[in-house]
Amino acid sequence: MAAPTVTIGCGSAYANDRLAPAFDLARSGRVRYLGFDCLAERTLALAQIRKMSDPSKGHDERIAELVPLVAEFTAGGGRIVGNFGAANPPAAVNQFVSVLRAGGRSGVRVAMIEGDDILETVRCEDFALPELGTSTSTLADRIVSAHAYIGAEPIVAALAEGADLVVGGRLADPSLFVAPICYELGWDVTDWSRVGQATLVGHLLECGVHSTGGNFEDPPHRVIPDPWNLGFPFAEVSDDGAVVTKLPGTGGAVDVRTARTQIYYEIGDPSCYLTPDVTADFSHVEITETGPNAVRVRGAGGRKRPELLKVLVGIDHGFKGIGEISYGGPGCLDRARRAEEILRHRLAALESDIIDARIDFQGWNSLFGDSYRPAKEVTEVRLRLAVQARTREAAAAAVYEVEYLYFGPAGGGGVVTNVVPHIAVTPAFVPRERVSTNVEVVVT
Amino acid sequence: MKLRDIAYTRSGDKSDTSNICVFVYDDADYSLLVREVTAERLTTLFGPLVHGSITRYEIPANKGLNFVMTEALGGGVSMTLRADPHGKSFQSLVLDLDIGPHRPVSDDG
Repeated sequence: MAAPTVTIGCGSAYANDRLAPAFDLARSGRVRYLGFDCLAERTLALAQIRKMSDPSKGHDERIAELVPLVAEFTAGGGRIVGNFGAANPPAAVNQFVSVLRAGGRSGVRVAMIEGDDILETVRCEDFALPELGTSTSTLADRIVSAHAYIGAEPIVAALAEGADLVVGGRLADPSLFVAPICYELGWDVTDWSRVGQATLVGHLLECGVHSTGGNFEDPPHRVIPDPWNLGFPFAEVSDDGAVVTKLPGTGGAVDVRTARTQIYYEIGDPSCYLTPDVTADFSHVEITETGPNAVRVRGAGGRKRPELLKVLVGIDHGFKGIGEISYGGPGCLDRARRAEEILRHRLAALESDIIDARIDFQGWNSLFGDSYRPAKEVTEVRLRLAVQARTREAAAAAVYEVEYLYFGPAGGGGVVTNVVPHIAVTPAFVPRERVSTNVEVVVT
Repeated sequence: MKLRDIAYTRSGDKSDTSNICVFVYDDADYSLLVREVTAERLTTLFGPLVHGSITRYEIPANKGLNFVMTEALGGGVSMTLRADPHGKSFQSLVLDLDIGPHRPVSDDG
């Protein structure tokens, strides 16, 4: 008898990801499961803001476009897990269900996972915010959101209830993949070394094109075919490891180099990667190229999951304004510096409502500061003002000063300005037992 | 010789922490990587960009190193006013390190 395997692919890596590669995978016949990661650190806080201004909003904004994929893929026996709910899982489920029904697609079992939103708990009690050196009680009503990272357990429960589509809020990125793998292969969610291996696969899939050549090229040292047409990754997983690959005909590459850069992306100690599911050990992962654009990964380990769950706390930081203007030709840097001097004088008048401001010169020091300086000459620079302000008006007034630099030093051009609400996100850590999840299934 | 000639990198972010993983193209260069690309040299290279600590983890199984830099993103991706809040470009800065027997003694950046 063949060893049990599960096939699973990435459908999305963030809230604004392309949908076409997901449709390609769904229609390929190569995967039984698709995992959609729709969230980054700030996505949830921004979704919370949308929900506050309209209680029917705050969920993934691509759901209407995704319904045809859901209808087709589930009709063929496929199953989907995603954190489409963002700050509002019921709204996401409602939209999926109503649009599926409107299209005549009945019988789809849609599971909703709730419980990640612990804003009330965080507002009523006091939790440390280690990166800010303060705690939640001191910030009080400036806290706009608090979402705990939820692991694979409730997703496994939803799959066991026959869900075709599982919709949650802050379901942890790798857990979207860990749950189907464990469910299909019969791995217990407390079998730490297997959960560590499943987490490795999840980590390779959850960032989408990061595993197939995205954020990778550095010509002439690293060049991949057709980077304008990157495919999403998928994996065939068994007890013997996982083979990660992409669809034939898509661009990019899957090889030892792309796998290494993704496996060790956004982790700390490689032997101690914390997720809600496990303390994963990626320090001894073996990567083998098994064919064109295919790697086998195995050898991840795991220890008991952490007792504390990470919670992302969103904080109202007022407004952020950005203004940019370019200078070129002889003396461009000197003119940009003179423009900075003008800005500093003008901003002084707004000082009480400006919390923080910085001025950089793109093409000179905006990425690495003034201490890194191999370039001797510069032919053009772009002044960039960034401010954090208490009010939208103050941020707008600050970036207006960049526009007015059209009448500053000679030859300033190409002004662009922008003002947006500034939501900051910072981690807190909450005992696991304080976060309880609930699974509910609706049938279309 | 620049690190870019023998190695490739990726930087990532978690709140105010940045990590940069570095791998050699040729396994034979791993010992050179371990010898030359130290946490101390990254501290010099990043200077005031990083306010916290820089810890290096060795990954011999994959011929790589992982650097974890705390207080490295101007207060965090969502807090900072920097032009590159995620530190995506940090992976490229590391590749400018001089390495090998002929690296200039005075140029530690």
